[in-house]
Order: sequence, then C-alpha cells, then structure tokens
Amino acid sequence: MLEDDSGVTKKRTLQLSSMSVSFRSHEMGEVELSCLAYAKMYLHASQFPRCSVNGLLLSSSPAGGDVCITDCVPLLHTHLSLAPITQLALTQVDAWCSQTHQRIMGYYQANACVSDSSPTPCALKIAEKIFEQCNNAVLLMIDGEKMFPGCRVPPIVMYERKDARWALKDKHTIMLRQWEETCAIVNQLFSSGDQALLVDFDSHLDDITKDWTNQKLNAKIMELISPANGNV
Amino acid sequence: MLSVSEMLKMRDKLRKWREENYRNSEQIVDVGEELLNEHASKLGDDIWIIYEQVMIAALDCSRDDLAWTFRFDAILNDANKLYDSILQDDPTNTAARKRKISILRAQGKSSEAIRELNEYLEQFVGDQEAWHELSELYINEHDYAKAAFCLEELMMTNPHNHLYCEQYAEVKYTQGGLENLELARKYFAQALKLNNRNMRALFGLYMSASHIAASPKVSAKVKKDNMKYGAWAASQISRAYQMAGRGKKENKCSVKAVEEMLESMQITMS
Repeated sequence: MLEDDSGVTKKRTLQLSSMSVSFRSHEMGEVELSCLAYAKMYLHASQFPRCSVNGLLLSSSPAGGDVCITDCVPLLHTHLSLAPITQLALTQVDAWCSQTHQRIMGYYQANACVSDSSPTPCALKIAEKIFEQCNNAVLLMIDGEKMFPGCRVPPIVMYERKDARWALKDKHTIMLRQWEETCAIVNQLFSSGDQALLVDFDSHLDDITKDWTNQKLNAKIMELISPANGNV
Repeated sequence: MLSVSEMLKMRDKLRKWREENYRNSEQIVDVGEELLNEHASKLGDDIWIIYEQVMIAALDCSRDDLAWTFRFDAILNDANKLYDSILQDDPTNTAARKRKISILRAQGKSSEAIRELNEYLEQFVGDQEAWHELSELYINEHDYAKAAFCLEELMMTNPHNHLYCEQYAEVKYTQGGLENLELARKYFAQALKLNNRNMRALFGLYMSASHIAASPKVSAKVKKDNMKYGAWAASQISRAYQMAGRGKKENKCSVKAVEEMLESMQITMS
C-alpha cells in the first residue's frame, strides 16, 4: 500500500518545509507540520464547530527519514465511528496517494466537546490501522480550547506509538516566525472567505462534483505561502 | 445590580449589535456577561443567542483560554438553572426539556443525556427528532445495537426516508459479521430505491456486496448473487462519477481514485 518515494518530491518538500511548524522529540525525531496541512485542518475544525471532525495526514517526503506532514485530507464531520464511509475514504485516499507519490502517515481529529481533546476509541482504532502500514505514524488531536485568534500556541496535541501504546509526544520548540506567518495565512483565508472552499469527504458524498482533494483551496494557500517564502 | 429597565436596555443593545453585525467584542462581553450572570432568568428565549454572541466576542478578545472554559461552563449551568425553573412552572414544556438535554451533550455528559432522552421518549414516544438524537448519541458511544433500535423506530414511522435506511445499514455494516452485512446490503438497496442519488447508499451496497462475495463462508449461489449486486453498484458509481467529472478539471483526481478502488476490489473478489 505504501511506496518508497525517495527523491521524487524533494523539490516540493523544500518549498513547504520553510513554512512549517516544528515539533521536536528525543526518541522519534522531529515532526514537521506544513502550513498547508495545518491550515486545512484548522479550516475543517472551524467549518463544523459543533461536530467532531477527522481527517488523514499525508507525507510526500521519503519514508524512514524525519517526518514531514506535507498535506492532509479532511474526511468526516458525521458518524466518525461508523465503518463503511471511513473504510471507503481510506481506500480512496490511499488510491489517490499512490497516484500522487504521497503516503498516509497520520490521522487528526477535533472533538465536538471542546473541553476534551483526548483521543476517542475511534481515533485510536484508525491511528492503529495507519500504524500497521507506517511505523512513524502520528495521531494528532486538535485542542478546541486553544482555537481562538491571538492564541500563542498551536492548538495541537500529538501522539506517537511507543511501547505498544499511543503516548504524548514532546513538543519543544516552535518556530515563532513561521508560526506567525501560518496564523496570518489562516486569518487571510477567513477574511477573504476562501475558508468556505474547503471540502471534506462527507461533503463530497453529498455532492460528488465537489473535490475532496481540495485542488482549488490548495492553490490559494500556496499562493499565500509563496510571497513569504524566501525560495525563488 | 441592574434595574429591570437597565437590564432590558442592555438586552436590546445586544440585539442591535447582533442584527447589525457589530464586532465591538469587548463591549459585548462586558454587557453580555453581566446579563447572563445576573439576569439569565429574565432573558427568556434570547438566552441561547446571547450566550452564543458573548462566546464569539470572548474568542475575539483573546481571553485566557482557561477562564473562557470556566465561563462557558458557568453560562451552561446558568442556562440549565433557567430551564429547570421553566420546567417547575410548566413540566410539559418539551422545548425546555430538550434544551436541557442539548446542554448535557455540549458538556460531554453523554450517559446523562442518553438517560434523560430515554426518559423523555417514554413520555413522548412520537418525537422523531429525539429518536434521531438518541441514535446519534448511541453511535458516538459505540452502542450500535441500541442505535439500530432507535433507527428501526424511525424507519417504522418514516418508511420513505432514505436517510434512516442508509444510516441503519451503516450501523449494521459496522456491527459486522455475515448476517449484519447481508442486512446492511438490503437496507442500502432500500435506501437507493427511495433515493437513487444517495451516494453513501450506493457505495455501501457496493462494499457490503463485495465483502459478502469475498467471504469464504458463503455458498456459491450467494457469492454469485453478491458479485452481481457489486458489479451493478460499481457500474452505477462509475457512471455517476463520469457525469460529475464532465468538464471539471479538478474532479479528475477523485474520479481516478474511485476507478482505481473499483479495479482493486474486483481483483480481490475474483
């Protein structure tokens, strides 16, 4: 299911990695979260504030190096714990990943009940499935309590597989410069109304002309990233 | 402590700010907080919309997140007290009763919400919204058998509703096992009969038929039948995606993903 895509998307990784937030950890190595992935997760959670939402984290960097979450696919905002649509989504995202030289390397979820950001049994189950195929898989919970403008820390709690369970990952340094720019980009998406472009898999099933790979939104976000990006 | 007339003036101010979309968040929080803390019982039906307004304003003001959570809880508790007092005066006020249950749900108190809803439904057995709410709560708690029961109630009283059929099928599929998969397939098919554009039902039919056909425990006839159903569903899915993808460049990705999925499942079935 997962391919070794060494070297293929090096260029893209370079472009994205200078716009990222870093989480450092002793055991598992650094995990980078790209602006693109973060922005879409945030938009997804904001689009359905009274629902639990989830999605898959993707990487286009080669397996076996430092982990870089380069993109995400928002999946559901209803019935997260029911099997058929989740299975369907996993299969389709997998198919799309193999066509685009990416791999599924994580899972994110935001709980409807904002005061509790601990992983639900459903989250653990799906993360476990991903771990079977990807041994540095991460589980990311969005902390709804920290999702307000001006919050100085990313509203994120990350888990990794350690000793046969999902353990909290250490987060040491966050590159403030890039974090501020990431926040600015997210704010820009809200002011321009572009946050409404986000399509998750659930919305796609309601109307299959909507694109769950979010090509349009991705392009808008990349446009916002590139002026700030020193790489020309 | 405000006089009644001052309180009413404040409430009207909040309404004006809401209607004219003012973003004077600091003011909204100050005014709203006082109203909610001191005068919740006099706000009537406005209470929900006011607390939502205050919540949004509080977020805008970047208040300390802990303090905000406590305030959120305090507001919910106030709303709860308000509904309790309404119900004391008028125990048949179903709206207040259901709002209390929504508060429990918002506070993450699922088991209490389930208990209250069950009690409510003993009295008001015809309340569709309540049955559906209960099915959702059970699904979140992974209690699929009870969720199925609620959906069965809903299907009985709403035999033409394709969504209930489809949700019931999803629950059965999730419960797993050959018998449940066959039930799932039947109800996905039923949902499609009621609404042939329900994509979840179409995919559900495809997946349940494919899984049954691939099972080593089924007879040759059952395998053959389910392969037929699966193939039919696959062709419908292909057709739907071809039509959707027409002229839209950005759908190319999702169309390709579906085609590859259908192809790969064909291989495992044969």
